[in-house]
Amino acid sequence: MPPLHILPGATLFPNPLLRHPSKTLIPKPRPPSALLQWNRKPELSGTTPRVTVITSGKGGVGKTTTTANIGLSLARFGFSVVAIDADVGLRNLDLLLGLENRVNYTVIEVLNGDCRLDQALVRDKRWSNFELLCISKPRSKLPLGFGGKALTWLVDALKARPGGSPDFILIDCPAGIDAGFITAITPANEAVLITTPDITSLRDADRVTGLLECDGIRDIKMVVNRVRTDMIKGEDMMSVLDVQEMLGLPLLGVIPEDSEVIRSTNRGYPLVLNKPPTLAGLAFEQAAWRLVEQDSMQAVVVEEQPKRGFFSFFGGINLQYCLWLWKCFCCNACP
Amino acid sequence: MASVWTLQFRSLSLRPCSFSSGTSNNSIITTRNRIVIRNGISKWRSRTQQLKHDSINSISKFYHQLVNSVTIPSFLLNRSGGNNFPIWVCVALVVLVGALRVVSRKKERPGSVADLVRRGQLKSDRRGISRPLKYEDPFNNPFVKVGKSNSTVEMCGKVYRLAPVTLTEEQQATHQRRRSRAYQWKRPTIFLREGDSVPPDVDPDTVRWIPANHPFATTATDLDEDLAQNNVYQKHGVPFRIQAEHEALQKKLEALQNDQKLNKLVIDPINAKEFERPFNSQARLNEQAESTVNNQEQKINKLVIDPISAKEFERPFNSHARLNDQAEKSSVNNQVSDSDSPNIDSDPNHFESKSSEDPTL
Repeated sequence: MPPLHILPGATLFPNPLLRHPSKTLIPKPRPPSALLQWNRKPELSGTTPRVTVITSGKGGVGKTTTTANIGLSLARFGFSVVAIDADVGLRNLDLLLGLENRVNYTVIEVLNGDCRLDQALVRDKRWSNFELLCISKPRSKLPLGFGGKALTWLVDALKARPGGSPDFILIDCPAGIDAGFITAITPANEAVLITTPDITSLRDADRVTGLLECDGIRDIKMVVNRVRTDMIKGEDMMSVLDVQEMLGLPLLGVIPEDSEVIRSTNRGYPLVLNKPPTLAGLAFEQAAWRLVEQDSMQAVVVEEQPKRGFFSFFGGINLQYCLWLWKCFCCNACP
Repeated sequence: MASVWTLQFRSLSLRPCSFSSGTSNNSIITTRNRIVIRNGISKWRSRTQQLKHDSINSISKFYHQLVNSVTIPSFLLNRSGGNNFPIWVCVALVVLVGALRVVSRKKERPGSVADLVRRGQLKSDRRGISRPLKYEDPFNNPFVKVGKSNSTVEMCGKVYRLAPVTLTEEQQATHQRRRSRAYQWKRPTIFLREGDSVPPDVDPDTVRWIPANHPFATTATDLDEDLAQNNVYQKHGVPFRIQAEHEALQKKLEALQNDQKLNKLVIDPINAKEFERPFNSQARLNEQAESTVNNQEQKINKLVIDPISAKEFERPFNSHARLNDQAEKSSVNNQVSDSDSPNIDSDPNHFESKSSEDPTL
């Protein structure tokens, strides 16, 4: 097995699997002092504010969950973040963040002149450098053809804020590729594509990637959500590498299926704030780290390794067989 | 006890088979059954009595044994000796602890967020008062450990095998080319509702047709685009709409003040006298009002003749001037009602314009 690195900033050892290491997606070399250092922080690369749209095409793959978790992870890393819920009719980001009772003003009110932009931004009390901005209230309507322009104005206004420009502006894109999608991608410089390892999601993801590329967004990274290693092992689910082969996009993160996601959604308390951290929460944090450093995954989790216990020297003999052997030793019936 | 009771009930055998089998000699069977039930009840009663006696005896025995077994401390027995020091120490300690608890509770204000959290009525982690999590490296912490050979990673107690990512830049470029061939797309710049006609100078490829029931497809935008942009860029001060509404309300209020009835109430000296109070200051005010009304009547007579002096009716800023204005208008209204002159609208600006524009006046 060749040595692999999942740590960002780690240089790859000469890999026999990769004949041309120069052509692989090798990240920029960084000083080794940052490696394996407790409480180190990610190095922000690119020009700020980084306007990132989180999109998928298909609904229900985890766009909003990813926005909430990556947004709060970035805030935990010390970056100022504004998350914009660009879903006009069906906003949910406020629920996931537990801020639903604090959304009084939205972008609609800002456009109408009922409030200023700074009044419409909802600051999270847990991490004060995280702010939420909702496009509209449920059941309200956005004026026709205003969406894209309005988002561009918003991003410009956020850049010119007296308190300073935010480091990240995350735009939670609605499902589909109609007007909501066009609105959401208008001000974005980069995109995070969320997909699940199933064919319906993959087809939509491929189409959305094509539209993003047509629109001039070239920096697209992929997050594969709801991965189950047990199903991959049983060949009931596509592996992450299969997904990557089909879409041809660099990987930002792989999020395992976790029941804690539903619990955290219902609680309005994102996974990344859980104590102790869950598997999916850790994966979201790692994805956020890579987003900051504009890095991508160099190795992916394939399957769970069988545990090596006391009876491992038997070479895969299961516990029942061991018990049967033990009974045989103890039994006096046999001669 | 429960087992005893169950035993008692089990001993009451009612012989259910006899109920089902008897068909011919019903009366004999029923009398037999009654006898059996009576015997059972009497037996049950005697046994309960016995059980009661037994339990009372056992409890009294247990009590005697308990009393005999417990050894009372010597200082409690030797009360006459007067060595009660340990008792008093204990009492003092209890009082001290109680006082400390009361003092510590007083420090936390009742009803404060901290108090509510302590009482379990609020969740600390939902209210922003919890301590922030200590920053942790998601790649190297007690929950994530990369194996020595970098081929495995341990996450949350489970060891996973790792595989290298084999995507090359060439492959990535190939996929991009494929997509660019497959998806020819131009970003729509114009959104039109289904049924609308395409404007002549617009590329039809850039038109996005929106269904009428789509959230984007509002029928009319009463908001100017430039105005909306300015609203987004506004950093300080009162928001545009709030200010506009405030001004509109102010105008409405002024219009109300200019209303005929209101003016009559304020200005009419006969009505004012009815509400007169014995206070000197009030009397003075009334006198002033009367005098101003008389003066202004004269002025208005002039005004009616001379339309140029209508400029004097422009909206004054201080309250005193406003009073004068109202007095003038009331008198004008009175005059107007007498003569056939144009109707006065509620808008003060409208009245002014009428008065200034009408050449007959």
